Amino acid sequence: MSATDHERHSDEIAAYLLGALEPGEAAELERHLAGCEECRTELERLRPAAQLLPESVERVEPPRELRGRLMDQVRTEAETAQASRRRRGWHIGSWSLRPVAGLAALVLVVAAAAAYAIGNGGSDEGGATTVVTGHPPGVTAEMIRQGESGTLHLANLHQLPRDEVLQAWVQRGKRVVSAKTLFVPNPDGTASATIDDMDGVSTVMVTAEPRGGSVQPTSAPIVSVAIPQ
Amino acid sequence: MSASKAERLADEELMPRIGEKDPDAFEVFYDRHGGVAYSLAYRIVGERGAAEDVTQEAFISIWRSGARYDTARGSVRTWMLGIVRNRAIDALRSKAGRAPKLDFDDDSILEHRPAEELTDSEALRRETAKEVRGALDELPGEQSKVIELAYFGGFSHSEIAGMLGVPLGTVKGRMRLGLEKIRGELAEGLT
Repeated sequence: MSATDHERHSDEIAAYLLGALEPGEAAELERHLAGCEECRTELERLRPAAQLLPESVERVEPPRELRGRLMDQVRTEAETAQASRRRRGWHIGSWSLRPVAGLAALVLVVAAAAAYAIGNGGSDEGGATTVVTGHPPGVTAEMIRQGESGTLHLANLHQLPRDEVLQAWVQRGKRVVSAKTLFVPNPDGTASATIDDMDGVSTVMVTAEPRGGSVQPTSAPIVSVAIPQ
Repeated sequence: MSASKAERLADEELMPRIGEKDPDAFEVFYDRHGGVAYSLAYRIVGERGAAEDVTQEAFISIWRSGARYDTARGSVRTWMLGIVRNRAIDALRSKAGRAPKLDFDDDSILEHRPAEELTDSEALRRETAKEVRGALDELPGEQSKVIELAYFGGFSHSEIAGMLGVPLGTVKGRMRLGLEKIRGELAEGLT
């Protein structure tokens, strides 16, 4: 990285915090940030100012009907989730596992949107770990891990609106971070995403995000695959 | 969990409850942050109906993915406002027939309440809002303009340079100086 590159990236930190970089520029800056302590320090120094901008807006009281509509929907979904948990004998809160007889690994698959879980299987063959899972309504996910990387193969996906993409996320411990992988379904409903660094990853997730991706997931996972450790 | 118990929990403690689909925890979360979320959405989209839609979509998204909140990314409120902002910008651009932003990353009853009904944190936040507005007002117009166009308008720095007819480097510089000054103005509150 030359001094000129460093200066260019340094100049873009404020625009990045204001969400004013194009996705390619933002990704490039993030790569630079990963290796430049000076820029990371500058980012953290300016971040609080950017984060306070939404607090500056004049307060406008939301209509009471909005709260009513939200709570109606939320309570309905909570009841559905609870009924689903009862039927399946799972308790999401404790994330209990049940053994899958005859399979080499225990796999927990959680579809957060529907708040239910499905147990499934995995196999170890020739140094690659393959996890196959099913997600209603018919979406299937196959995670093939080889060495430090992994490839997620999805099928039966619905086509996305033009302004959305699929984004892959990985969970390490309690942290969920972008796998820096954006992709869209093929016309036949399949899609693949490569996760470069699977080290320490406990779960791989895919969400639909606005084009260009998001810093954090903004919608429920379409697919969530637990990786056997 | 009862609503009264949820009210005693910090936001960070509410999120796992929301992830477990606890509607009482979500209700407390909405009551704490629904006002600023709606206000931000309204500030960006400029219409009450559209602001309602944005707020509803954002909160349902949080309800469905509450377990995805990552404490390393800052406060729950900051995370939530980021979601609202992204959705509001998308709605704004869609309505204006602008291409999706490709952003990486997007009269009140309250005013009539007696002051003693405001919790300490609400009062503090309203004070913060006043300070940030003051800091924005203190900025030279050219700096506040680029910040507003980017953050509340969803324009990229290249688009802003084109709109204002100034070099891209100038826009970047004004953004940086603007944030520097806001930070400076609020230094005591930020440290």
